[in-house]
Amino acid sequence: MNLFLTDPNRAYYLHEIAKLTSISAGNIRRELKIMVKSGLFQSYRQGRLVYFIINQDTVLFEAVKTLMKNASVSANEDIYGQALSWVSKPTASSLPKEIYCQTRDIFLARLQSFAERLEIKIGTDAYLVAAVAGEIGNNSFDHNLGNWPDLPGICFASSPNRVVLADRGQGILKTIRNVRPQVKNDARALKVAFTEVVSGRYGEKRGNGLKFVSSVVSDKNWSLRFQSGRALLELSKEKKLKITEMPGIIRGCLAMLKY
Amino acid sequence: MTIKLYKFGDFLISRPAGRDAYLSAKAYLLNKKADAIELDFEKIKVLTPSWLDEFLMMLKKDYPEAEIKYRPSDNPTVISSLKTISQSP
Repeated sequence: MNLFLTDPNRAYYLHEIAKLTSISAGNIRRELKIMVKSGLFQSYRQGRLVYFIINQDTVLFEAVKTLMKNASVSANEDIYGQALSWVSKPTASSLPKEIYCQTRDIFLARLQSFAERLEIKIGTDAYLVAAVAGEIGNNSFDHNLGNWPDLPGICFASSPNRVVLADRGQGILKTIRNVRPQVKNDARALKVAFTEVVSGRYGEKRGNGLKFVSSVVSDKNWSLRFQSGRALLELSKEKKLKITEMPGIIRGCLAMLKY
Repeated sequence: MTIKLYKFGDFLISRPAGRDAYLSAKAYLLNKKADAIELDFEKIKVLTPSWLDEFLMMLKKDYPEAEIKYRPSDNPTVISSLKTISQSP
């Protein structure tokens, strides 16, 4: 539908649509047949090809245009749901390329561009948002580089007032157990990661990143949801750190910052 | 001796970039002996504790006797990163 709404004056033939949308010609033919019958589309033959064009004279045209516009807004707002679905699946699926950063270089380039656009809207707080997102995203690369269980890289997406980051890496528990083998579960591992200076990279004196995240989120009255394995950490505007056990398990980490 | 950090870029975010910046500073900017080293954050847009930690860790290892000073900055990421680093044991 988006294809036809982008340029409503343009007609397409069946295999052209299939090629542009990566949907099988059979499925497209079946759907178009219904829509021609409803009056939303018109078809005509030119030589050996049958062309389809959206009918701008029908009352359905404006309704569909509005519906698609709203659907696009909700898709943008549901970036958390999209990331959650990606980290919840037992086997890796691909992400839309605009939110998938396979390498750190791609992530950092997109983060910089995001921060520069955000600065126009919210001023220097955009730098803090970028620093927080940078620490979470870089953490994923620092702890999984060369050791991704399936798909390398992270999901980095934004919509107004929020940023979502996710990875299908080893998760906080496995990382923390490198230096604290006695840590029993995901909830305890999250608590350690956000409140103690400890790095999962054995032999390295590190571990400030998530403490910095926690401190900035509290100072700015933002909120953060950070899930790893079965545990969800929530840092609310009331500056309370709450960790709960979730019914479902996720691979790696999933974070949403609201600013 | 003053190191102007913007010479490494104005988005100082990742650990590998902090490490790389230090190695470059050591090769081209730092003297073999220094009593005091000052970090200047002017023109920096984003600084994270990870970048700074990596840079400082190697600096302190190579110059254990040098006093490390920080030029005041009103950038919120610089202030927050320095606060986090200073609380680290």
